[in-house]
Amino acid sequence: MPPNRDALPRPSAFKALFLAVLFGLVAYMVVVIVGLVVYPPLPALIESLTSPEILFAIKLSLITSAISTTLCVVAAVPVAYSLARFSFPGRRLINSIFNIPLALPPLVAGVALLIFYGPSTFGRMLSATGLDVIYTPLGIIVAQFFVNLPYMVRVARSAFETINPRYEHVARTLGCTEWGAFRQVSLPLARSGIVAGLVITWSKSIGEFGAVLMLAGATQMKTETLPIALFLNMSTGDLDLAIAASVILIVISVASLAVFERYSGGRGVF
Amino acid sequence: MLDIRGLSLSLGEFSLDGVDLTVADGEYFIILGPTGAGKTILLETIAGIYAPDSGTISLDGREITRTDPKDRGIGMVYQDYMLFPHLTVGENIGFGLRQQKIEPDRIKERVSETANLLGIGHLLDRTPLTLSGGEQQRAAIARALVLRPRVLLLDEPLSALDAVTRDRLRRELKAVHRAMGTTIVHITHHFEDIFALADRVAVMQDGMIVQAGTPDEVFRQPATEFVAAFTGMENIFPGISRVRGSEAAIDLGAITLRTVTAVEGDVYAGIRPEEVIVSREAFESSAVNAFSGTVVEVQQNGIFSRVVVDAGVPFVAVLTRQSIARLGLAEGEPAHVTFKASAVHVFSR
Repeated sequence: MPPNRDALPRPSAFKALFLAVLFGLVAYMVVVIVGLVVYPPLPALIESLTSPEILFAIKLSLITSAISTTLCVVAAVPVAYSLARFSFPGRRLINSIFNIPLALPPLVAGVALLIFYGPSTFGRMLSATGLDVIYTPLGIIVAQFFVNLPYMVRVARSAFETINPRYEHVARTLGCTEWGAFRQVSLPLARSGIVAGLVITWSKSIGEFGAVLMLAGATQMKTETLPIALFLNMSTGDLDLAIAASVILIVISVASLAVFERYSGGRGVF
Repeated sequence: MLDIRGLSLSLGEFSLDGVDLTVADGEYFIILGPTGAGKTILLETIAGIYAPDSGTISLDGREITRTDPKDRGIGMVYQDYMLFPHLTVGENIGFGLRQQKIEPDRIKERVSETANLLGIGHLLDRTPLTLSGGEQQRAAIARALVLRPRVLLLDEPLSALDAVTRDRLRRELKAVHRAMGTTIVHITHHFEDIFALADRVAVMQDGMIVQAGTPDEVFRQPATEFVAAFTGMENIFPGISRVRGSEAAIDLGAITLRTVTAVEGDVYAGIRPEEVIVSREAFESSAVNAFSGTVVEVQQNGIFSRVVVDAGVPFVAVLTRQSIARLGLAEGEPAHVTFKASAVHVFSR
């Protein structure tokens, strides 16, 4: 009979130690997160969740994240496809540039955006046309887009890379234009990867704080997204509202993680 | 007629180097060559996936070198099928017709017509990944054929299949070619495909066509050592096969070979030179094919030498130099050739 690794009479000290670390940390993470959710009494939590300020924050977060995620998907598809399919000079460098916002602290990205849309020549031209980005809800969208585009690009690129280019070759011999082959073959085949990227991008944009804080500011009931609401209420000592915002963010994170795992098929983002 | 002149393309590790090729209407043309010879990119360039660096491609007198693939009327089938996994088999076969905005009823009709021709009419509602390899390849061929292409390009269509399926699909390809009269360019590295299917054959090496001609010409008079080494079977004889029970007799005219095959009628019999035993005297053995003749050629060539014994037909054998010296083989000397029934490979022609 082949040796069965589970059939040892007693786990070895090695295995016991490693598993103890594993289970210890899992318990720690679950306790910390669940602890936050169950900390306030339930009626107080419900009251906070339905307060005008939190309702505003939910609505603003949903609207801005929906728009910025849509823009991310629309922009990321051609970028990801080009990086996956075409060879051109500087491809590796360009790939790295698209990853910069991943490594950059969002606060720094926010400051850079603030300078670009504010005192720079472009910023002054833009505000001359009446399009104000700084300290407005529009700034939230701009910040979320800039920080989260790389996630969408990465997931979409890996989705396109797994599709054999011969599918498109065959489609073109069957009468498709390049557009037609892309739309009828590559895009449907990349669908689950793009959905996975969309979900992770949406979840990250809902939670985006640093860049939004810098570019859109933290004005109550104006640029107050859920993370900003959490920050504002925490700094004024209004713990119940802060926890309410956190609970919503936890629910969104867990749900989108589940959807991502379902669609990504193990493709990583990080 | 498909006419290719001076086609060159450099594409990373693969390249085409001045390919000249002419394929007549209705011809079954096979391109033989080892892995990495550039066969697939030749087909992809003919299909229009890649634009050549130089050279021209003409179809029926019209130059199509820069024509969009969709407007060439050239179909392509890959070794690994490339059926669209998000569509059913029927939708795959109808894919090209849908691009032409043909009405759905007419599409349905033509899809089932072509599917039935290839014996997959009952699989139209299945998804490709639930099909066997042979069924998937039939579906891929049907998908290309349903558009009635002027040229059908087949990139190693039989290589991914098991031996039994391969034999069956090879016969079906032949039948389809006869029935539809489509011009076919087929890439392979199996010489069995050539004897079963090809009207003409070209041998490709390092991005160049090193020889083109009828299968007989290429196998009998290999233009280069590479072709000889690659084709491998130097003893190829046309004959007539008669099957009796489990055995078959191949009448080559002067002599008759015995072997085990189910192939009847006009055939080629092939024996690898390594399997031919040369002796001075006849000897008792289990090998059923034994013929006496005369040594007509001894070609010293490194450790191994080629010895040709004329025993009604010329048998080429490969011997070590020591064996030739020990047996005292020389031109004009009498000799016997012996080989087993299983050494005789039979291909219908």
